[in-house]
Amino acid sequence: MKEVIAIPKVNEGKEKHRRINPSIQRVLLGSIVPILLILAWEYLSRIGVFPPHLLPAPSIILQSLMTMTTDGSLWTHTSITLYRLVLGFLFGTVAALIIGAAVGYFSTVESLLDPLIQAFRSIPSLAWVPLFILWMGIGEPSKVVLIAVGVFFPVYLNIVSGIQGIDRKLIEVGKIYHFSSWQLISKIILPAALPSFLVGLRSGLGLGWMFVVAAELMGASTGIGYLLVYGQNTYAPELIISSIVLFAILGKITDAILKGLETKTLHWQDTIVKK
Amino acid sequence: MLSIERVSRTFSNGTTGFKNIDLKVEQGEVIGILGTSGCGKSTLLRVLSGLDKQYDGQVVIDGETVHDVHKKIGMIFQEPRLMPWLKVYDNIGFGLQKKVQSKIAQYIKAVGLVGFENHYPKDLSGGMAQRVAIARALVTSPEILLLDEPFSALDAFTKMQLQDLLLNLWQTYQSTILLVTHDIDEALYLADRIIILRGQPGELYQEIKIDKSKPRSRGDKDLAVLKDEILQLLDLSHSKAI
Repeated sequence: MKEVIAIPKVNEGKEKHRRINPSIQRVLLGSIVPILLILAWEYLSRIGVFPPHLLPAPSIILQSLMTMTTDGSLWTHTSITLYRLVLGFLFGTVAALIIGAAVGYFSTVESLLDPLIQAFRSIPSLAWVPLFILWMGIGEPSKVVLIAVGVFFPVYLNIVSGIQGIDRKLIEVGKIYHFSSWQLISKIILPAALPSFLVGLRSGLGLGWMFVVAAELMGASTGIGYLLVYGQNTYAPELIISSIVLFAILGKITDAILKGLETKTLHWQDTIVKK
Repeated sequence: MLSIERVSRTFSNGTTGFKNIDLKVEQGEVIGILGTSGCGKSTLLRVLSGLDKQYDGQVVIDGETVHDVHKKIGMIFQEPRLMPWLKVYDNIGFGLQKKVQSKIAQYIKAVGLVGFENHYPKDLSGGMAQRVAIARALVTSPEILLLDEPFSALDAFTKMQLQDLLLNLWQTYQSTILLVTHDIDEALYLADRIIILRGQPGELYQEIKIDKSKPRSRGDKDLAVLKDEILQLLDLSHSKAI
């Protein structure tokens, strides 16, 4: 058996010498198209095809980002946006985890709460904005609550369906060992529902970003969303595009963190490895 | 040790399950339960394990009437039912309230999985996974072991290996075993007594005692005669259940 295991390792070692690390190779492949597009954009801007007051060249956008970095405003806006997102994301996730676990596990709780939650889900979350502003003003609380509401639903739905989709056969194993309800939940149900919980977290994060923008567009004096409005009001397209780029970068980073968490905690899953 | 007194469990349509089963099992005895499909063999084990509580009659373990999952009972299912997020080691220790390392190591050795402690279930073959399930059931030292067609999903060679493994473990730990199977050879190879269920709902039709010492030869002539007898008892030629 040991020999069989050893053989592929030897091959792997050889391949490493011959070829570039596959993950680096993937990054390189993925960046070909964006780089080409940016070069074309820069070129077309320089020869005047794109009017600079509508679509400035990438170099100008980069310059505006650099200025913001040096005068410190980039960090101020980014940190406040991240702060709102993280806080709202945490509140939304914790609420979804607790309510979702209860609804998924106890059928009485399900019939008690699920219809109501489904009804609330059909309200477009942005429709809450006026009410939240009326209740909590335009300060931080209304923004955080709006983000939390946005995050709540995808996480909740995924937890509930994750728990309800658990193989009854695994739960029976726990019952044979006389597990208490708490042991069943902590040792079988939660780990088994973890994959769909993580899927929920990632789509929750996506919605969280959407609602950060919404909240900051609505009324804020700081944040990347505010920069968007500010850029629009001051006719500064490079500021708007810079903010969009910032959103893209931050969204990608936060998603990568969750993705890393996912691969780290779900390495036991027997899923197809893409070639 | 274990006695089953007029236990019935039928389902709403009244034709599946079993009825009026009386059975007394001695300490250390291996009982093989045979029957055509639909006669309630698996349901009987679910009732005994305490997973199915909607039955009539009494199940008595060591003089104590039980109506729930019992500590003295261990169960091995048709599928391994391992927790995919736990390594072999943790899967084996799954039912222990306190993970005693030496105990888990002892059973890893007993089922021949030394070196595989840190594998995840996805990396195991069917036979290895079922070995883990056997170790998981034994590690809590159950006095009565219920097996529900435990080897039916395995290929013929793995099946024979695991039957021998089960026999070894039985000789070491002397647990009482109830083995539901549809494999007559398996029952003849392992059981001290074979119970035949027939009908829908299933009823106890015949009991056959096998006095041969174990391990037995798989090609034993007396067993071949018994196999013929059992085939006739099961009346496979006229059975509607197939």
